[in-house]
Amino acid sequence: MKYTELQVTSNFTFLRGGSHPEELVQQAAELGYDAIAIADRNTLAGVVRAHAAGRIHSLRVIIGCRLELLDGSPLIAYPTDLSAYARLSTLLSEGNLRAEKGSCHLYKADIYKYSQGMRFVAIPPDSLNASFEFDASFHVILQEYRQQLGKNLYLAANRSYLANDAKRMFRLAQLSEELVIPLVATNDVHYHNPARRELQDILTCIREKCTIQKAGFRLHQNAERYLKPAEEMQRLFAQYPQAIERAQELADACQFSLDELKYQYPEEITTDGRTPQEELVHLTWKGANERFNGHIPESVRKTIEMELEFMERKNYASYFLTVYDYVREANERKILCQGRGSAANSVVCYCLGITSVDPSKFKLLFARFMSDARNEPPDIDVDFEHERREEIMQYIYNKYGRDRAGIVATVTQVHWKGAIRDVGKAMGLSTDAIGVLSATRYELTEEWYEGKTATSEGFDANDPHLRKVLEITNQYIGFPRQLGQHTGGFVITQGKLTELCPVLNARMANRTNIEWNKDDIETLGFLKVDVLALGMLTCIRKAFDLAEQHYGLNFTLANIPQDDPKVYDMISHADTIGVFQIESRAQMSMLPRLKPRCFYDLVIEVAIVRPGPIQGDMVHPYLRRREGKDPVEYPSEELKEILGRTLGVPLFQEQAMEIAIVAAGFTPAEADGLRRSMATFKAKGKVSDWEKKLIEGMVGNGYEEDFARRVFRQLEGFGAYGFPESHAASFALLVYISSWIKCYYPDIFAAALLNSQPMGFYQPAQLVRDAREHGVEIRPVDVNHSDWDNTLEEKTVNFCALRLGFRQVKGFKEDDAELLLSGRNPRYTSIQMIFEAGVSILALERLADADAFRSIGLDRRQALWDVSALQSAPAGMFSNQQDETEAQQVQLPQMELSQHIFQDYAATSLSLKAHPVSLVRQQLAMFGVTPATSLKELRDGMQIKVAGLVLVRQRPGTASGILFITLEDETGVANLVVFSKLFEQYRKEILQAKLLMVEGKVQIEGEVIHVVVQRCMNMSGLFDKIPASAKAGLELADRNGQPTNPGSKSVNPKESVKKVLPKGRNFH
Amino acid sequence: MRRRFVTIWFPFLVTDWMARQKPALKDAPLILYAPERGRMVIKAASKAAHSKGIFPGMVVADCRAIFPDITVVEYPTGKAEELLEALALWCMRFTPAAAIDLPDGIVLDCSGCTHLWQGDAPYVAHILGRLGNFGYHVRAAMADTVAAAWAVSRYGRNQTIVLPGEQLSALLDLPAAALRLENAVTEKLEKLGLNTIGQFAHLPRTALRKRFGVTLLQRLDQVSGFEMELVQPVQPPKEYFERLTCTEPICTAKGIEIGLGRLLELLCNRLAAEGKGLRSATFRCHRVDGDVQEVSVGTNLPSRNAAHLMKLFELKTGQFQPDLGFELFELEANAVESIAFDQTAIWVETDTADTAAVAELLDKIISKRGTNVIHRYLPAEHYWPERSYQLAASIHARKEIEWRTDQPRPIHLLPIPHVIDVTVPLPDYPPMLFFYKGQRHQIKKADGPERVEQEWWMQQGEFRDYYCVEDEEGKRYWLFRSGHVDGGRSRWYIHGFFA
Repeated sequence: MKYTELQVTSNFTFLRGGSHPEELVQQAAELGYDAIAIADRNTLAGVVRAHAAGRIHSLRVIIGCRLELLDGSPLIAYPTDLSAYARLSTLLSEGNLRAEKGSCHLYKADIYKYSQGMRFVAIPPDSLNASFEFDASFHVILQEYRQQLGKNLYLAANRSYLANDAKRMFRLAQLSEELVIPLVATNDVHYHNPARRELQDILTCIREKCTIQKAGFRLHQNAERYLKPAEEMQRLFAQYPQAIERAQELADACQFSLDELKYQYPEEITTDGRTPQEELVHLTWKGANERFNGHIPESVRKTIEMELEFMERKNYASYFLTVYDYVREANERKILCQGRGSAANSVVCYCLGITSVDPSKFKLLFARFMSDARNEPPDIDVDFEHERREEIMQYIYNKYGRDRAGIVATVTQVHWKGAIRDVGKAMGLSTDAIGVLSATRYELTEEWYEGKTATSEGFDANDPHLRKVLEITNQYIGFPRQLGQHTGGFVITQGKLTELCPVLNARMANRTNIEWNKDDIETLGFLKVDVLALGMLTCIRKAFDLAEQHYGLNFTLANIPQDDPKVYDMISHADTIGVFQIESRAQMSMLPRLKPRCFYDLVIEVAIVRPGPIQGDMVHPYLRRREGKDPVEYPSEELKEILGRTLGVPLFQEQAMEIAIVAAGFTPAEADGLRRSMATFKAKGKVSDWEKKLIEGMVGNGYEEDFARRVFRQLEGFGAYGFPESHAASFALLVYISSWIKCYYPDIFAAALLNSQPMGFYQPAQLVRDAREHGVEIRPVDVNHSDWDNTLEEKTVNFCALRLGFRQVKGFKEDDAELLLSGRNPRYTSIQMIFEAGVSILALERLADADAFRSIGLDRRQALWDVSALQSAPAGMFSNQQDETEAQQVQLPQMELSQHIFQDYAATSLSLKAHPVSLVRQQLAMFGVTPATSLKELRDGMQIKVAGLVLVRQRPGTASGILFITLEDETGVANLVVFSKLFEQYRKEILQAKLLMVEGKVQIEGEVIHVVVQRCMNMSGLFDKIPASAKAGLELADRNGQPTNPGSKSVNPKESVKKVLPKGRNFH
Repeated sequence: MRRRFVTIWFPFLVTDWMARQKPALKDAPLILYAPERGRMVIKAASKAAHSKGIFPGMVVADCRAIFPDITVVEYPTGKAEELLEALALWCMRFTPAAAIDLPDGIVLDCSGCTHLWQGDAPYVAHILGRLGNFGYHVRAAMADTVAAAWAVSRYGRNQTIVLPGEQLSALLDLPAAALRLENAVTEKLEKLGLNTIGQFAHLPRTALRKRFGVTLLQRLDQVSGFEMELVQPVQPPKEYFERLTCTEPICTAKGIEIGLGRLLELLCNRLAAEGKGLRSATFRCHRVDGDVQEVSVGTNLPSRNAAHLMKLFELKTGQFQPDLGFELFELEANAVESIAFDQTAIWVETDTADTAAVAELLDKIISKRGTNVIHRYLPAEHYWPERSYQLAASIHARKEIEWRTDQPRPIHLLPIPHVIDVTVPLPDYPPMLFFYKGQRHQIKKADGPERVEQEWWMQQGEFRDYYCVEDEEGKRYWLFRSGHVDGGRSRWYIHGFFA
């Protein structure tokens, strides 16, 4: 006799289920089940995974959902066919949309409304009352369910080895007979095998926010809720064999499979009654004529025809039209956008305006997509200006309606940190111990488990409690924790989306998303379109606006002059502060060696400084070949085609995967699985099987093992940060455009960048400094000249002067700026006037701090003195009257330059007056410090000292503990390399110093200059000694060896001067 | 009389105290933290940490990044207040009026006290010396006003004595922060370049008031003494102690009883006035030859019932040996607790009175038979039967959960399950008969199994399958099999009896 388990809770019922849907399905298959139902609480989030696993194990997955009602006892619903499934999904969507994210409010009436075509199983209470009967209310509700749901209702019976099992079964049988509701046997499965009980207990503790010691009766009494073999279930139900039969009967009745879900494109995307393909053809040729001014080159014409034919064959027209639709909307709203992905780099997309990358520079990409044996849907990501992306998202919601468009979910998984914290807490570890454990994961090696090594914090592998904690933590890692929203992936459907998948409210206002993530969507063949946000596009838009305003130029992404040698010269000299993608330290040291001369070089540049090529140790071979130091050769003839365009060195993700296919004999599906497993299972260390397969495959085909290992490591690197060529190509266009603007209009570039902050690697101080070095005059914030944004003023020499805007002033609000600007008519002559315009005193103080009253003739100190007097002035009535108590003029102490500079930094994070390091240049010179700009005049290997403010400390995961520091002095920046051992020695100096002096060897390689650090010294103290006269008395307590006041907050005189200087940003 | 004040500052109060407890921490960089909006923020740093540039307000993680081996301990909340209270009480040897100055200081009103120490300077030096010997870093200053003394103790150069009338001039060189101003005001003064008190003290009062508010002027006035500052002295704790001297030595039991009765009455009246009751008390008798004899009693509930306490003492006073007679009786309450009065409804039967009666009965039994003869059990939230109950710790202990009724549990549970022989059909049916203490029990009715798993976080091992069985006499037993049937290792036990 067969048995099908119907009551299964997977870990998508968060903090209840103890096994992944995949594990449950696999276990069911191993036990010889034909089918299994997954029924999580008020959600279908886990069913697609179960379904996918079912495909692998040839097991039928019955879709179910345990409906927790607010006014009745729970029911499990199983749709028998597609329309019933649609009703179930609609029901859940309704419940979700009524409630906040994370909960679902359902009532009995909802069930009755949507019950058609569904089978239901009622769940009885766990225990009997004192007279061994079910609570009377259960009888009542069950009777109601029977009336409403008729013969589709069943009653669940399970034997979980509690004392009253027999009595309970007897009562259930009575109820079943009395109300004519068939009994079905279930085991209320919470985990696939009994060993998971411990994890399930811990989940209960996490849910109940208690420790395992205190959890008591909130846990289950025993470990019986696992997937039991059919024979065991039959034995347990020997007295009630019909319950087993009914379960099977119910399972047989529910033949609905997720494969029946049919995705349909929306229809609104065509006009004039054309079919999607006709529309696509029409729009493409229309666009082509515009792009090529009516003279479409023959080769382009051919490519277009070929692409269109391919799209028709694959039935992709609707997809491209959907993307085209919102790209067109963005263009109408003048929102910049740019598509990326292999399908985006097609001539058709160029004609449709989805991408601005000239296809003549890229013949290969779409062709490769077309020739791809994998039958996967096209994937186009479109980036929009980050400040205005929401407009496009709302456009999509409005156009298709919330019941037809939704954002794809991301299933947040539990990672090491979260897992150890939750499990540790539940197991009663102290917060301290958890913190330390969480930070020392890398020390918990296999040797440690074997007891051969101890961790630095002294954790003992022989401690059974600790081992248990770690064992459960490792099981817990990878569990879904919550459903978030994808960064911008939309599913848009022709019919109701709510009938395909439950929709729920996202945390953000005005957003709704579905319960399935992108893998689920892909499993079912739904198409998603990505609407992403990119800061650089905002910056470029602002630059284009400024160009129009001040130079009368009308730029678009497509009409910036291409292949300009001057731009490539600039890039080759690593003069790329602020430029998209190639502004980081690592990128900048690569540029002078790579010397990009054409667009494709930029594509390579974008892709090469990434974990993939770096971990695969592919960067140096490529550089050497490019510089002609090594010959270009190929591991084999068959790889020549794949690696031809990158001089025989695999740099892109596609190449590494193709190598797996061609050289190691992977099927395309396997190669894809390999890449996916890198991303998903890297944390769990499950990739070793793949590693073996790849390396053995390649060695078997005659490749060197070393090369094979490098390819594998490269794939590993791609796993987390996949960066395919097609994306690099789209980014390279933005690299070129931002470089072009910087090269020809540094004034515009600086203003646009400053107005798009926060963005990129650099802070306003560096951007301003860089603009100045390119000949742009920078003018300070001023109440009579500044706008909220940074603006351009009249042309000085080559460029317009840049006027800093109020947005640079810390703590100054945009509302106050509006009041100030509306009252500026045409200029202010006193602080009183600005006050009367409605600007708050607090805001005026901020402006005084920023020294913005110079045009009124007040320095910051005098301005602050005057502003603070406004406090008690009677407002309005006696405007413009001189306060008589002010008759006596007060002489404030004169401010020194250094004080001004520090206050500039405090108020605006930058100073136009001078660089702080210039104040101590003399003292530094006495130490023999070389200014940063003089480094290039030195010889390689010379011993030198440099000093400067710490801008950035970076410790990339790919650089084996090496720390990169960037110092800045008044002449320029110096790049430091600190090896990890030295870092341990000088940790304090490196992390604490604002002004760091280092001694080391200068390393010059062409234009790339590094200082390899040997000694560090914190010179921040020099800043304290500058304005001696002004700080008399501040340091008194310190000088006689007594402590300065640690108790009260304000009195840390040294700190208060230094804290205004930038702390230095840390990147990983 | 001219008023004089001393302010004492403990810059490292709590860390110094920790170093006193653990001498190893002395001179070690030590930081104390407390969680603040999800981050661990430093609340106090020892002098050694301070000299490394670590200050309160920094984040622990940042400090650890810089000094990986620094000692980090959780900040004992309320400790500073507790320490200051104790220190202020201790300082009452220098003046009757010692006050706490939160967060880290003490103020002494020493007007008219210093001549006992031969003047101001020796007075302050003496205080500094004594406190320093305790292991505290300490600074102090004396002036005519609290404000001036405060400023000089925190910010002055080595100066400790501000001469009478010179308080304002002594402060001119000190930073604005010495005036105990809000941070915003201090920062504003600094921004204006008015770094020392001398730079702004002479400015027109209206100009100052408009910009910095009245507090600044008030602080300046407090320094010069134009405005008084109130000091709230600490009160010494009361001791519950009564004594009775006898004009003639007492030798008789009756005499002792009368003396004790009078002391009890005094003490109980006082306790009643303060709403308190005693939990333990000692009665001490001093014999004329200098010998001291004592007896102690304890109660289950705080009591001020003189008659009841008398009875408790009476059980013990027999052991006194007066010989030549006692000349002094002392009664001391060692532990005193507040008595909470529950408001009792008139018509509802409450058990407060009963509890009191039970407690007095228990007091009597315990003083006769020892503390270990009576137990009370409460339910504990564990499935494992041996852990499903616990001993009640006190008469107040109430059960936090109800006894389990959803699963059958025996009235009498054996402390250790007893092995039995059974005849049982496989795989998991109840036994047909079992032998216990040589007696054969034929099972007529049975229910089960109920499976109870090990509480894996405490103990590893087999689960148990429990059965309720009834023998031919109608007696019911709780039996279990340890572990699975298969493997042959399973054994049967009896664990309890139903009514």
